[in-house]
Amino acid sequence: MAEMVLQQPLRADGKEPNFLQKFGYGFVHGDIFTKLSFLIWGLGYIGHGQLIKAILVTLVQGLGLYYLGVAGIPNLMKFGTLGTVQMEMVFNPVTFKNEVNDYDNSFAILLLSIIAMVVIVAMLAAAMAVVASNYHLQMIRKAGGKTNSFAQDVRVYLNEKFYITLLTLPVLGVVVFTIVPLFILIAVAFTNYDQQHMPPNSLFTWVGLANFFTLFGGGQSLSLTFGYAFGKVLVWTLVWAFFATFTNFFGGVFLAMFINDKKTKFPKLWRTLFVITIAVPQFVTLLLVRNFFGDNGIFNTMMSQIGVTDLLHNIGLLSPNMDYIPFLTSNGWAQVMIILINIWVGVPYQMLIATGVLMNIPGDMLEAARIDGANPVQMFFRIKLPYLLSVQGPSLVTDFVKNINNFNVIYLLTQDVYVTADQAMASSSAKEVDLLVTWLFRLTQEQYNYKMAAVIGIMVFIICAVFTVVCFRFINKKEATFS
Amino acid sequence: MTQTMSIDIKKELRKGKINRGIRSTIRHLILLVLAAVWLVPIVWLVATSFSGYRGINFTTFFPESYTLDNYTNVLFHPDSVAQFPQWFVNTLVVAIFNCIISTCFVLMVAYAFSCCRFKSRRLLQNLSVTVNLFPGVLAMIAVYFVLRYLDLTNSYAGLIMVYAGSSGLGYLICKGFFDTVPASLREAAKLDGASEARIFLQVVIPMSRPILVYTIINSFMMPWTDFVMAKMILNSGVSSDWTVAIGLYNMLSRTLVNNYFALFCAGGVLVSIPISVLFVIMQKFYVEGITSGADKG
Repeated sequence: MAEMVLQQPLRADGKEPNFLQKFGYGFVHGDIFTKLSFLIWGLGYIGHGQLIKAILVTLVQGLGLYYLGVAGIPNLMKFGTLGTVQMEMVFNPVTFKNEVNDYDNSFAILLLSIIAMVVIVAMLAAAMAVVASNYHLQMIRKAGGKTNSFAQDVRVYLNEKFYITLLTLPVLGVVVFTIVPLFILIAVAFTNYDQQHMPPNSLFTWVGLANFFTLFGGGQSLSLTFGYAFGKVLVWTLVWAFFATFTNFFGGVFLAMFINDKKTKFPKLWRTLFVITIAVPQFVTLLLVRNFFGDNGIFNTMMSQIGVTDLLHNIGLLSPNMDYIPFLTSNGWAQVMIILINIWVGVPYQMLIATGVLMNIPGDMLEAARIDGANPVQMFFRIKLPYLLSVQGPSLVTDFVKNINNFNVIYLLTQDVYVTADQAMASSSAKEVDLLVTWLFRLTQEQYNYKMAAVIGIMVFIICAVFTVVCFRFINKKEATFS
Repeated sequence: MTQTMSIDIKKELRKGKINRGIRSTIRHLILLVLAAVWLVPIVWLVATSFSGYRGINFTTFFPESYTLDNYTNVLFHPDSVAQFPQWFVNTLVVAIFNCIISTCFVLMVAYAFSCCRFKSRRLLQNLSVTVNLFPGVLAMIAVYFVLRYLDLTNSYAGLIMVYAGSSGLGYLICKGFFDTVPASLREAAKLDGASEARIFLQVVIPMSRPILVYTIINSFMMPWTDFVMAKMILNSGVSSDWTVAIGLYNMLSRTLVNNYFALFCAGGVLVSIPISVLFVIMQKFYVEGITSGADKG
């Protein structure tokens, strides 16, 4: 009978049981140690002769419970309201001084509650894994086998389960430094965390979807400008990402083909000349270029010396009362300049990559095309470009997403330089040249408007995610039809 | 008859040669112009770094007088604004720690995803792609809150954590490279009784020198080139705490730029020298890394 009980759970479809089934089966059919190990992880391992492991897992469990007891649970209790006690000065009759009362810090409540939720989920999963593993140990012992000693266990983690050893720390890093912060910001999008509600001096609380309504132009007075700014910034973000990605890609490809052509002498020298520009850190070159194109900058001086400024006056591209060309300071000019400067920044990178990819094109393919009488243009459009796109298609998609989030170029070129003339934009801290990410950054730095920044961040994520999914679907489908 | 033919042919040939010569000249002229455009800012940077005038020169491209003062000032006479040697040390410390932690993380994750087979592999990989779609700036603002709560802003520990903490997410290029290491090699080592850990350390890593160099240099360069995160976290306004990037950025603020522009250029050149050296080493691996990763699609 006992042997009947102590077997792996079986699935009707014959597949290996999943995590939940293993846990359920182990918990129902396990012995008292296995069952108890759900509550106190170490007990099961003690019962199954693995003392060191028992101590270690109980220690981890103790730490988790300690956190929950001291900080997690008390804050989770206030999670529904995010705190009710405002910071105040209270007269303390014992010390005869005004002292700060025992106030609630909404942000701390939010942060510690979210950490507590992550800890609870992790501990539940761990407890289930402990039960499953204990059931496994129990089975081994029932079958007359010996359970692993601690040294043997360590060896398993350097062998079959090496991936766990490898992934634990990096995953922990990602959870702590990316996932938990993202959860917090997603939560902030549903609160009224802004300049009027700044902890620790005042509280903030949940407001539901109000911030999203604000962004799309419904609701109170301020939201009108927000909806307006969001539309403008979104359009420019997409236009920018499109141009930045494709100008760089094609610029890089043409430059690479031009340099690698047999008729070009000293290809290495040319390549090096372009690559020098990458070697200087971007923030140095961008700040430099920004001064180069400044309103009183050297380029403007040169332009007026050779008469270009006057020419622009004459053909009406420049209003007569301006004695300089507002390269980075006026709407329209700035956008064009940013895209041009980005070509300067990005083409050498793309040239390097395209050089590598083009060299991989099978030589016989090009040779065959040449024998068939294909001219260079045909060779480019029929062979090289499809090849480049098939290799670099995925990276074009990621480049597009990176450009949507291209903070550096926009921020370094326009911060402190570009001032918007549009009152509606200015009131929501936006500029015509802002990307969504620079806008949300500025919102946090200038207006402390964290709630709207979080909402915009979520919108950026949705845009990027939808775009990526659609593109990869398309790429995969295409690959399937070709091969 | 035959003679006229051959003269004609010779004429044709000569014409072709001249044509080719003209075309070749045009081709190289275009390249020369392009290269000039690309180099103008760099030349300006270097020229201004030797300028005798400390502000921005608005009237001429090349400075009117040359001096080495900017370099000696930036290196040996730090003032309250420009503390380049201190910044350099700060950045170096951050860079070294970031380099060690990030490189380990990236290699570990890449190996686990490339060479180990386990159930949640697909799931974890998809998750990492999804997380990468969140704008980095957004995550940064959130991390800033957390660090401020933990009292880790204005500390290098905080900055290193921000740089290195999530570095495991940048495993893709490295994984692409590990994928090209023949599985048969690992199988052979396994048959010889090597543990998975030994295969990782003694078989796969020694075979992946290009990607190792790429990863190391990449993570080492990050604090030298990053500006946003450092500015956010080291926000005390105390100049001696800064990294090179924030320090140089500050020199260009409206009140300082007229006294410090040449110094900024000198500092910029000084940072660029080690970075260019590293970049030249990395350049080969850069292309290899990208293309070998991309080939997998």
